[in-house]
Amino acid sequence: MRIGRRAREFDEAVRTHSSALFRYAFWLCRDRGRAEDVVQEALMRAWKAWDDLEDPGATRSWLFSIVRNEHLRAFERKGLDIDDRGVEELDLPVDCRMDVAMDVRRALAAIPASLREPLVMQVLGGFTCAEIAAALDTTEGAIMTRLTRARQTLRRLMQGEVPLSEAAR
Amino acid sequence: MNCLEFRRETLADPGRPSEAARAHASQCAACSQFRAETLKLDEAIVAGISVPVPEGFGQRMARNARGPDVERRRRFMALAASLALGVGIGAGAYVWERDDPLARASIDFVVDEEVNAILTSKPSDFSALQSVARALNVQIPQVGEVRYIGTCPFQGTIAHHVVVMTEGGKATLLLLPDKAVGEKARASARGLRAVVAPARGGSVAIISGASDLARLEQIVNRS
Repeated sequence: MRIGRRAREFDEAVRTHSSALFRYAFWLCRDRGRAEDVVQEALMRAWKAWDDLEDPGATRSWLFSIVRNEHLRAFERKGLDIDDRGVEELDLPVDCRMDVAMDVRRALAAIPASLREPLVMQVLGGFTCAEIAAALDTTEGAIMTRLTRARQTLRRLMQGEVPLSEAAR
Repeated sequence: MNCLEFRRETLADPGRPSEAARAHASQCAACSQFRAETLKLDEAIVAGISVPVPEGFGQRMARNARGPDVERRRRFMALAASLALGVGIGAGAYVWERDDPLARASIDFVVDEEVNAILTSKPSDFSALQSVARALNVQIPQVGEVRYIGTCPFQGTIAHHVVVMTEGGKATLLLLPDKAVGEKARASARGLRAVVAPARGGSVAIISGASDLARLEQIVNRS
């Protein structure tokens, strides 16, 4: 019975958070196939360590951390550089490339990863600046600065004040 | 709090205004408007970040992540139940074989992901496929029209994905050079049947709802 309850709790957590985890992984590696692999590997690790999760309220941040670590382990240690493809080159489904969010995706794809990641964590994961700072091993002030710059840059890009080619600077 | 402090705080986290920020916004129309615009920007960001999630993703992820323990236990219970009912060891083994996780995952791939894989993956050419097939010592069936050849992620490896239209209907082949299996495994679910056969250094999965699965299996397996 213990295995059944454990599996049910895990399934429930995965059902609740899997979409956010996939999207977080996608914006980390910007490849749907890789994102799927990263989440799968992360969840396998999460299942193995499920009994170590003492606070069910921390499940979301715990899973995000595992996804991030898995991304770093899987790709950065292989020497892969930061992905600088434009959004047109990302393997998004065809219908997705034509929707109204295209401008935002183009802008998001253009900003530096150091600005994009905390923004994705906050907007997608609902994390506070302090939580993001802890996850990214930096200070809350640094995260606030990066989030401020991210929103300012996105706004300028979307309003056409800055060309996409200059967003990474 | 002054306007500059308000705007810094708002740009850092517009969804969680402090008491001081709320008080400031209630007194300053320009800053209140600034916060409204920033929240609108965040709505657009959410829409942009929310790329489509593969169909059945959560269920598949959970099943694959905890698969071995739970699946083995479930299969054991199924086997035990079969024995208790006097069906016999042969029937129990058959149930075990039908529930093979890799074969079942290949069915789920066809049902949940194949269309998306075709839309989003880069197609390959037949010669590239042939070289993979040669390495695995299998042959691509000449029993119908090859409709699609490409590569896609499958179970943590790269699968060489082939869609064939045979007289008996559509069939999918997944050439899995990095997925070695010890023996032939089967599954039957969601209106499809699948067999995963060992090949040299890897395996080949054949998934079809058609009646000619056994025939395809014979043709694909050269060895």
